[in-house]
Amino acid sequence: MSLKLKKENIDEAVRTIMELGGKGILNCVQCGACSAVCPGVKAGFPVLCRLLIKKLTTGQLEEIIEEPSSWGCQACNRCTEVCPQGVRPQEVVFAFRRYQANEMAISTSTTTSQMNFYETGHAVYTESSKELRKQVGLPEAPPTTVSDAQGLKEIQTLLENSPMGELGFF
Amino acid sequence: MAKVGVYVCHCGSNIAGVIDVEAVRAFAETLPDVVIARKDLFMCSDSGQEQIKQDIRDGLVDRVVVAACTPRTHEPIFRAACEAGGLNKYLFEMANIRDQASWVHPHDPEGATEKAKLVVASAVGKAKFLQPLEDKFVNVTDAAMVVGGGVGGIFAALELANMGHKTYLVEKEPSIGGIMAMLDKTFPTNDCSACILTPVMVDAAAHPNIEVMTYSEVVGLDGYIGNFTVKVNRKQSYVDWNKCTGCGACAEACPAKAGDEFNQGLNDRPAAYIQFPQAVPKKAVIDMESCINCAGRKIGSEPKVSKKTGQPMLAPCEKACPADAINRSLAHDPAGSIEEVNVGSIVVATGYKVMEKESFKEMAPESPNVVTALQLERIISATGPTGGKLLRPSDNKKPKTINFVSCVGSRDEKHHTHCSRVCCMYMIKQARLIKEKYPDINIYMHFIDVRTAGKDYDEYYTGARKMGINILRGKVGGMEILPDDRVRVLGFDMDQQEPVEIESDLVVLATAIELPKSATTLGQTLGLQFCGSGFFRELHPKLGPVETSTRGLYLAGCCQGPKDIPDTVSQAKGAAAAAAVPLAQGRVKIEPILSEVQPEKCSGCGICVPLCPYNAISLKEWGERPRAEIDITQCKGCGVCTTACPSSAIRLHGYEEDQIMAQIAALTS
Repeated sequence: MSLKLKKENIDEAVRTIMELGGKGILNCVQCGACSAVCPGVKAGFPVLCRLLIKKLTTGQLEEIIEEPSSWGCQACNRCTEVCPQGVRPQEVVFAFRRYQANEMAISTSTTTSQMNFYETGHAVYTESSKELRKQVGLPEAPPTTVSDAQGLKEIQTLLENSPMGELGFF
Repeated sequence: MAKVGVYVCHCGSNIAGVIDVEAVRAFAETLPDVVIARKDLFMCSDSGQEQIKQDIRDGLVDRVVVAACTPRTHEPIFRAACEAGGLNKYLFEMANIRDQASWVHPHDPEGATEKAKLVVASAVGKAKFLQPLEDKFVNVTDAAMVVGGGVGGIFAALELANMGHKTYLVEKEPSIGGIMAMLDKTFPTNDCSACILTPVMVDAAAHPNIEVMTYSEVVGLDGYIGNFTVKVNRKQSYVDWNKCTGCGACAEACPAKAGDEFNQGLNDRPAAYIQFPQAVPKKAVIDMESCINCAGRKIGSEPKVSKKTGQPMLAPCEKACPADAINRSLAHDPAGSIEEVNVGSIVVATGYKVMEKESFKEMAPESPNVVTALQLERIISATGPTGGKLLRPSDNKKPKTINFVSCVGSRDEKHHTHCSRVCCMYMIKQARLIKEKYPDINIYMHFIDVRTAGKDYDEYYTGARKMGINILRGKVGGMEILPDDRVRVLGFDMDQQEPVEIESDLVVLATAIELPKSATTLGQTLGLQFCGSGFFRELHPKLGPVETSTRGLYLAGCCQGPKDIPDTVSQAKGAAAAAAVPLAQGRVKIEPILSEVQPEKCSGCGICVPLCPYNAISLKEWGERPRAEIDITQCKGCGVCTTACPSSAIRLHGYEEDQIMAQIAALTS
């Protein structure tokens, strides 16, 4: 099956990404330097940086809405450092994520982290860490929001008032 | 009563695509003093010009206003048409309704049309006060100067000299030859660079009309087309070149060390040195920056006398010289000796430099095995530091894997947005030369895209693929230094959509071509303009590729923008042809758009003298008191003196007070 290119789709994809913060998307010349250094791409999330931009600039915004690759971005910003055209690829990735989030097309890996964050104040927090802490003579709960109800409440209030909260995420 | 004719041009759709040309024409008809208003699809065409001529011949008009594109390219054309019709050509005025209306307001046709009407009204207002002027002529010095002794400069000088004009060839290094002399072979024919260049260098040096001034720099420029005075700093070499035979004995004796510029800093050269084996002229110089004053033999002093032998104690270089050419008693003068040279025209061919690898911190510049392409050129050259053997710098071992990285600093917003144009070809050349000699070496080349346009060039590229050179589409994002001085190249293969990692023994960076700092300084000295990419700006990117905005100054080679050897030679011959025109004619025309002092009004206050940016004004005795006087050969018609004169004693022909006031009135009424 061949890809159907349509001007309306391309315009909409580019406009959406630019409005959500990916202002440099049209500067991209598809050289691939960003993907050459991207830890996410190396970890097996191919639709990051260059390929994400390619797909967006061919108008495939809706087609890739469920794409989990964008959530593999570690925000290291090396793409921005090496990009010769000032695209700032990370901003494009984040803009696409905002689009996905607004449409509630968020990958399960990310949902779990978000819920963890809401419930404990940590994006990554596992039961097994309790045991580990006990073994080295530390209290089970670390002295963070996990054991500070007041602090956790503050984080939850912030999250509820954030765009994620407005989406009815929590 | 002036009879003004207005001619409005459509310029195809350039103007008419935005502006309602008929509305502008009809409006022009209503203006005072306008007797006729016409329009044409192309006013500059033969029929358009003929219309103007016919109206003049018929006695219909005696002032001409053309509303069209730009006076930069078209004023001379319409002036010539007026002249051909029998009207003084300075009774012509141009209204620029393209640059100033249609091009800048493409989305507002109505506004652009209204603006065009105003621009036309302003031109008509001025036109009725125009006065006939006569061109002036000055004689020309029949000599030319070429600044820069690379392949471009050499060919420009040879061309001028062969046309019979005395030519000075100025080069800052001890020898002519430039960067081409450093190259091993040249694409796409793989012929030896030195073998094709050296005979030409010798031709230039031996030519009776060429005076080669090496180890010299241009430090000042005065005058104007036909009569330039150039100040040339002849750097001190401490070697009498009349005696020096180029034997190299001083270089062998000299113990001082400095980075060898010719070998791109890959090895050291002595302080006393001959630039390279095929140098022309083959003469030694002593570079005071790196001289260590052996045996306490300070420069600029008489030698001490040995208590033991009673003989003067000489430095090793002095002792070694069989021709007695070295004179360390000469006082050190960092300013050198200034020589003034009078020429009629100047060709600037100062060339380029490649960016150093240090500018690219993501490309592991601290590794000795990451080199620039020009360094690799020296490594594989027979006259280079390894005698032509391909050895990596860290341990002088033959590399097994080589990576070539394109677009390093070119096509990059952080450095240079321009394409350096020759990198794709020279990288393919180097890869092919290495693959031919050492088929066992693995070669990877990383490109954003391969640019090998033109005759025999793409064949050269496809040939590289056939030789088994691996070509990957994708820009290298970074490098990491590994043990054993190896380098991991982090690339990308667009065709597989995957990042790739290659462990490499040697990495070659195709760094961008840019204007060297010394050329920037020279450009400021000569009053040249710079383009957005940092190179010298030509008069017009298409129609004036060798001229500059300063008459009498011409450009050739990479100082005007990146180009390869054939293009440089072509442009050099073109620049030489253009530079020869004033010399061949023997006199040059000076436009009479110049300032003139009316001495009876001048109070002799002298305010204008320091204000003139061209040093054209001086105070001269007139009657009993000093009055300002303007040298028409120096005046550029900028008008600064006119506006500053408190007695309104200075007129700028072509921009008289009544003309300007009429323009303002037309724009504001």
